[in-house]
Amino acid sequence: MARRAFWLRVLTAFAMVAAFMIAPGPADAQKKGGVLRVGNLGEPPSLDAHWTTASITETLTNHIYEGLFSLDRDNKPIPMLAESYTISKDGLTYTFKLRSGIKFHNGKEMTSEDVVASLTRWGKQSIYGKALFAQVAELRAVDPLTVQMQLKEKSAIVLISLAVPNNFGAIYPKEIAEKFAPEVKVTEYVGTGPYKLAEWKPDQYIRMVRFDEYKSRNEKPNGYGGGKTAWLDEIRWVPVPEVATRVAQVETGELDFADDLNLDAYDRLKGNANARPIISKPYYWLVAVFNKKEGLMTNQKLRQAWQAAIDIEPIMKNVAGGKKEFYRMDSSLAPVEISAWHTKISGLPWDEHNRDKAKRLLQEAGYKKEPIRFMTTQEYKWMYDFALLTKQQLEDVGFNIDLQVVDWATLVKRRNNPKEYDVFTTGIGAAYDPTHHVYLTPSWPGWTTDEGIQKIQQELARETDPKKRMALWEQQTRQFYEKVPVIRYGDLFGLRAARNTVKGFNESTERVRFYNVWLDK
Amino acid sequence: MLAYLVRRLLAVIPVMAVVVTVVFLLIHLIPGDPVSVMLGPDATPTQIEATRKALGLDGPILEQLLGFYGRVLRGDLGQSYFLDRPVTTAILERAEPTLVLMVCALLVAVAIGVPSGIVAAAHRGSIWDRVLMIGSLLGVCVPGFWLSLNFIYLFAVRLGWLPAAGYASLFTEPATALRYMVLPAVSLGFNQSALIARISRSCMLEALQQDYVRTARAKGLPQRAVTYVHALRNALVPVVTVIGVTTAVLIGGAVITEIVFNIPGLGRLVISAILRRDYPVVQGVVLVTAATYVLINLGVDLLYAFIDPRIRYD
Repeated sequence: MARRAFWLRVLTAFAMVAAFMIAPGPADAQKKGGVLRVGNLGEPPSLDAHWTTASITETLTNHIYEGLFSLDRDNKPIPMLAESYTISKDGLTYTFKLRSGIKFHNGKEMTSEDVVASLTRWGKQSIYGKALFAQVAELRAVDPLTVQMQLKEKSAIVLISLAVPNNFGAIYPKEIAEKFAPEVKVTEYVGTGPYKLAEWKPDQYIRMVRFDEYKSRNEKPNGYGGGKTAWLDEIRWVPVPEVATRVAQVETGELDFADDLNLDAYDRLKGNANARPIISKPYYWLVAVFNKKEGLMTNQKLRQAWQAAIDIEPIMKNVAGGKKEFYRMDSSLAPVEISAWHTKISGLPWDEHNRDKAKRLLQEAGYKKEPIRFMTTQEYKWMYDFALLTKQQLEDVGFNIDLQVVDWATLVKRRNNPKEYDVFTTGIGAAYDPTHHVYLTPSWPGWTTDEGIQKIQQELARETDPKKRMALWEQQTRQFYEKVPVIRYGDLFGLRAARNTVKGFNESTERVRFYNVWLDK
Repeated sequence: MLAYLVRRLLAVIPVMAVVVTVVFLLIHLIPGDPVSVMLGPDATPTQIEATRKALGLDGPILEQLLGFYGRVLRGDLGQSYFLDRPVTTAILERAEPTLVLMVCALLVAVAIGVPSGIVAAAHRGSIWDRVLMIGSLLGVCVPGFWLSLNFIYLFAVRLGWLPAAGYASLFTEPATALRYMVLPAVSLGFNQSALIARISRSCMLEALQQDYVRTARAKGLPQRAVTYVHALRNALVPVVTVIGVTTAVLIGGAVITEIVFNIPGLGRLVISAILRRDYPVVQGVVLVTAATYVLINLGVDLLYAFIDPRIRYD
């Protein structure tokens, strides 16, 4: 009897400990208040989301504005300012029902007129807007909460274009959308987002404060979209151009969060008791873009020789500072994180490091050691590193690479002139739809005008059946590795840091978002 | 004196004209384009062309230069492409941090440099002389950014005594401002003190070998009085020149210090403006810096007359 009582007591004790461990402690409760100080690398060129593709503008403006759609955790479109939508049987008419009672930061209620004016402006300036509006016949307000989009032809990209976070279809009040011509940047910043702009002091800070009248969706947070709560009183974005200083300021607690850090800070952050490193994926896949309009690299055999020659793993390892956590070997043109478009095709001529094949292709190309102008920059260390290693590997098989190291502003200027270069380095960020892969378009530097590639891109823009689209995308991927418009290296990841007091941060989105984040101080 | 002043001030005009032209041509002739930077990596060439036109960057360069002259003469430095404000406003906003840093760093530099130079000279060949001069050699040799980053690591990250970086206005929060200013002022001041120390030492040595010093000693004056009253004042003229030059260097923005310690001053402004090719800002900052430089030099020249009454300007 005594024995039984003993075991009963032990059991009860265990049960209590277990219950205590499972139940959410008070530390997990969300808290309202506080100022989150975020260190980022510079000034945005503008806070007009329609106007620029700069990623810093994307990050900042997504806290101020919202579009009709957003992306869920699988990077698929979900409604944001739209309540619901219907598509006509012929696929040519999209009718969007807007959420009611949505207020702008200036107190005005959002209506269909604001949506039409904003999207019309976005359709003239944004790269995604322009691509969509090439297919749009008419956009009109049916009633105060209904917008109708009439298409010229069937389109697969309506919802995704309205959902992309970069250069996005932010809804501004009609008065602002009409006041500023598309090519002139907006200088009045009024949106519907959970935070509103309070103050912008260039090189000192951008202050965003909670928008008290924000009306959240009822769903749970989901990727970039879903319910959004502004727990913080204020987000203070502090430009700290020197990366070592950004790290130090997280260590000392002067910053709560820092973005775009050098990978060599990883170990130091891991050893810090008050802060933690966060690996950001997807970040970029490294790319060498060929000039296919003029010069040596118009020769497809030469491009194939480059692809055959390079040994990607050692390059990635070096760029990632020798850390496996920071790179991934993958031939898919969409990263794993964009699960809808990630492909698993075996036998592609990717990462072959086949020197004999490369030499044979060089011969077939009729290459006579003419110097190939390969443009890169030291402003982004990873670009310079992978360019330098590529040069060594290529020269081992008989290429003659003239590595031209310039500053980033020079590179982005020169790459528009087909006479000035043969190859340049950059990174390919997340593209949420096959039609958004810029290096497959004829207008982006490098000029992929190949008829076969363009034909599939056009079909991809029109085909609406997801299965057929995926088949087309796989076909495009195979064609990519045959025609080699650019060289796909591996995926590189980025590094961020957060103080342990920062809670609720979603680590799985490409760019940072601080709605739903709270401070436990 | 007045005639001299007017002459010197008039001489500023051609200097400024040359500076303005050279800067304009340099920044426009180096490759790179503000519009491609602003519109982001995925912008298309047609988009870029439209924006170039909107900013007035599509005209011939000489036409743009003449337009620039015209505006400068009217006191208008133009509008920043990036910052959405007039260049003069941007410069005025950044002037305070740079001036505060300049004054603090200068105080540190003089406080370290002049005494160590004098002590080294007074005790020439002694162990003090060697230690101080090796210290000043280090000051010249150690790169500013390296020193700054180590200061941050030691005093902010490890010891937690001072903030790592940032800026607060001296006029609104003086206590915080001083805490922020310690590390940048010391690391910059230490660098600048080196030259001042070496010049002070050699000028002092020269002064100590003059006849009047021998006379003073012969009169039986104590060594202290000889060194600090008679020799020091005569040794100061070149030291003032060096301090003036240091001031002028600092006014252009102690670029690296401002970047590492995240001080929103003129140095940071001009560097980011160069990287993003914000032409009006680069031109404006260089113009203002050059003008200040010339004026400081003038000020130093006038100061000579007070230190050394033998110097006269007619």
